[in-house]
Amino acid sequence: MKVDLLQGTLDMLVLKALSWGSMHGYEVTRWLERQSEEALRIEEGSLYPALHRLARRGLVKAEWGVSENNRRAKYYTLTAAGRQQLQAEATSWATFTAVVGKVLAAMPA
Amino acid sequence: MAWIPDRYRELRTLLRPAPIEEEVEEELRLHLELRAAELESGGLSEVAAREEALRRFGDVAAVRAETCAIEHGARREQRRMELFDTVGREVRHSVRSLGRAPLFTLVAVLTLGLGLGATTATFTLLHAIVLRPLPYPEADRLVLLRHAVPKVGADQKWGNSVASYFFYREHSPAFDELGAYSSGTTFLSGEGSAEVVDGAQVSASLLEVLGIRVVHGRTILESDDVPGGESVALIGHELWQTRFGGDPAILGRTITVNSSPATVIGVVEPGARLPGAPVQIWVPLRLDRSAPPQNSHWVNTYGRLQPGSTPEAGLRDLQRLAALMPERFPEAYSEAWYASSGFTPDVTPLRAHVLGRIDSVLWVLLGAVAVVLLIACANVANLLLVRAETRRREQTVRAALGAERAHFAVHFLTESGLLALAAVALGLVLAYAGVRAIVLLAPPGVPRLHEVSLGATPIAFAISVALLTALVFGLVPVLRSRLDFSALRESGRGMTASRERQRIRGVLVVGQVALALVLLAAGGLMLRSFLNLRSVEAGVDPDNVLTFEVFAPYPRYPTLDDQLRFRRELTERILALPGVTHAAATTQLPLAGGSGCVYTTIEGRVYTSTDRPPCLPVMQVLPGYFDALGIRVSGQTFSWEQVDRADGVAVVSRAFARRMWPGEDPIGRGVISYQDGPPWYRVIGIAEDVRAAGLDQPAIEAIYYPPRAVAGACCSGSPPTAFVVRTSTAQPELIAPSIRGIVQSLDPEVPVANLRTMRDVMSSSEAVARGSLTLLLLGIAATMALFLSAVGLYGVIAYLVGQRRTEIGVRMALGARVSEVARLVLVQSLRLTAIGIVIGVAGALVTSRTLSSLLFEVSPGDPRVLVLVSGVLLVVALLASVVPARRAARTDPSEALRAD
Repeated sequence: MKVDLLQGTLDMLVLKALSWGSMHGYEVTRWLERQSEEALRIEEGSLYPALHRLARRGLVKAEWGVSENNRRAKYYTLTAAGRQQLQAEATSWATFTAVVGKVLAAMPA
Repeated sequence: MAWIPDRYRELRTLLRPAPIEEEVEEELRLHLELRAAELESGGLSEVAAREEALRRFGDVAAVRAETCAIEHGARREQRRMELFDTVGREVRHSVRSLGRAPLFTLVAVLTLGLGLGATTATFTLLHAIVLRPLPYPEADRLVLLRHAVPKVGADQKWGNSVASYFFYREHSPAFDELGAYSSGTTFLSGEGSAEVVDGAQVSASLLEVLGIRVVHGRTILESDDVPGGESVALIGHELWQTRFGGDPAILGRTITVNSSPATVIGVVEPGARLPGAPVQIWVPLRLDRSAPPQNSHWVNTYGRLQPGSTPEAGLRDLQRLAALMPERFPEAYSEAWYASSGFTPDVTPLRAHVLGRIDSVLWVLLGAVAVVLLIACANVANLLLVRAETRRREQTVRAALGAERAHFAVHFLTESGLLALAAVALGLVLAYAGVRAIVLLAPPGVPRLHEVSLGATPIAFAISVALLTALVFGLVPVLRSRLDFSALRESGRGMTASRERQRIRGVLVVGQVALALVLLAAGGLMLRSFLNLRSVEAGVDPDNVLTFEVFAPYPRYPTLDDQLRFRRELTERILALPGVTHAAATTQLPLAGGSGCVYTTIEGRVYTSTDRPPCLPVMQVLPGYFDALGIRVSGQTFSWEQVDRADGVAVVSRAFARRMWPGEDPIGRGVISYQDGPPWYRVIGIAEDVRAAGLDQPAIEAIYYPPRAVAGACCSGSPPTAFVVRTSTAQPELIAPSIRGIVQSLDPEVPVANLRTMRDVMSSSEAVARGSLTLLLLGIAATMALFLSAVGLYGVIAYLVGQRRTEIGVRMALGARVSEVARLVLVQSLRLTAIGIVIGVAGALVTSRTLSSLLFEVSPGDPRVLVLVSGVLLVVALLASVVPARRAARTDPSEALRAD
């Protein structure tokens, strides 16, 4: 089964990906694919506005570097602010899913 | 060699950021290529892999556009942040560095603040009085309609006759509407004390012409404004508030205006007034359109031009119509009379009429304070130069360490900007106080002065001027800071400042002295002119004289006998007061404004329609008038007995006698005004000339009649209302309460108005008022200029002495005497001053011509004034150099030589 992403969730997932270390855009895509076991349906292009928006908000830092296969690539790194943001979002996400799950699990009396 | 372009690109990115579009493109391409490669390695063909990669990616163009937009936004934000950062850093740095030089900062801010304050205050006046539109909607369409009669009197301007008013009003296409009025003192009685208020009789159309709105009730309608119309009145907002407590039930109430009842129909908007006079009571004028035409021009008329029309077009209309009047109104006008009087319509834009000559005064003053500001700027520029000098080494070190010239520019500009900001704050405070003071101190008679306040436009003006000056003198040290690393080598042992720098400072001082001289000369000319005006032989002795007006209401004093009895009683009671030597009254007080003339016939002359009799001001005066005002009379004056007997006697002015009977004795000749034949009034005395029309105007020709007409005369004139009381004490105003008491006890319904000394009447007459306002403000400007140039001169001389300390030390070590050293400094200072004075005198000769319309009996190039102010400047320059000279003379050679 494939799932669509909720609005704003992509940012959180990108931050999560980058919490594992600096990556360029394609690496972030690949990481998300692997972690979700190909179940996430993302339009790959939408990743780039997300990355640049995060950079503008100061949550990630962008730098040109050289990729494994010796290509120029833009690498994104989580900043301290980004790490905090990720933590906050993860917590509220967990609370959200727990509450929604509890409600949905309620059985008719 | 594949790395070369890459390296090259990296180098370029390092120097300046690559265009955003390129970077984004590169990033996206990498993604697509990597994805395609992966798919290809998974078994797809190259083409299929590329297509699949694109499909998974989505809309490449949209992603590219969105990403670029985000990136552009980010860059903008970053640049803004950097700018804030730089400005913040520079401001902090400048505040610190100004704080380290508190004396410099204080002097600079004070100097600039003074200059800005003066400029702003004057600009505020100019703005309120001249630049701001008149308080009427579309005031540029308003004009004053009059007639010139050059052959009757060069400066005579007549209003309309009733006939010409209606004729013009109904036939001139250039005008939207005409309105008529007659203003004057009005008195309110009944319900509370009798009170004199400003009143006007106006046509219904006048309120429309001026755009005056009624806030409660209704306005005056055409149906009120006809003979026999209902007796109605509009009251001013202010009067409504003060006398009637803002009572909304005022509408429909009956008030007593000039002793007749009138119903209040409305309250006029606050601040509404006639262009020339405040008005609190407006009643209909009720001109009679069907009255037989008369050649009597007493109707004051304002007109509103059609949109897009011009005063010239209006004038052409009126000229055309005026030419038709002899045919249309043959009983009142004739071609012959036109020819003999030179009668022709005159259209004056309202603005020009209201401002009179005051706008030239204010422009001159703005020029003067702009000069003060320039001097202040020169001072500050000088201070900044000195400061830049002392910081030259610091600057050079920083430059050597790689600081850019642009950076110094930013620094100096920030510093001068901060100075200007502090100065503008001080300047606004000073301007506020200054404007208040001017409004309080200014002589009466300045138009629109009551409307002056420090508003948004003057504040914006002050800030712009401040920023401009900051830019100018902030850049001076930058332009001067040619990076010259030799300053590092110099250990400060340079003997004198470089020639070039000395020269710039010299130029600044010379300029200041020259500008100050120009202002001082202008101030001196105004002062002389003012003194001339004060000492002019007015023909009256204004000292120890109190004047006031009384209005005996006609319903209570219906006949001339009643009116005169009241005045005689009043005069006798005043004469009984201790300290009063003379008391009398006249219909027209000299210099109190008011004009008009009456045709007067001379016995034995034949006048034709082309050779009309002279038109002169005519006065009715009570016995004792000449003594009370100190007008000398040769021959006789008339007594109360003669008044009672209605003797046909008159006193004529010397100028009139000279013109009518040159070389002959006027005593016994016959004259009469208002009609052209006997009975004659016999001339019994010749009064010395009085400059009644203005101190800067020639004396008027006049006839003084007794207040009761001789038997058989057509017209009696009106009873005198303006009293003059001469006291033996120097403070005539002290008897004012007694006079009020006497009038009150005679009749509490009679109001007393305009109680003031004759001196006050004279000082508020237009020429004196204009002169003294100019003198006051120009005097302030000139004093500031003198003070600021003295400060500037002192600063420069003191600095030069400091710079030459080593040289002076050497000289003294070599045996120079103290007096020689002092002289050295003084000579240098005087040389600069002398050059400044020469340039300033040349400048004064050119610029004071702009003052000539304001000067009275003194030429713009008056040598006495120029010599005097040059002397003053020289003395001030000497004083400013004495302290530095003494310091130089006290230089201890050993110390001076040892010092670094």
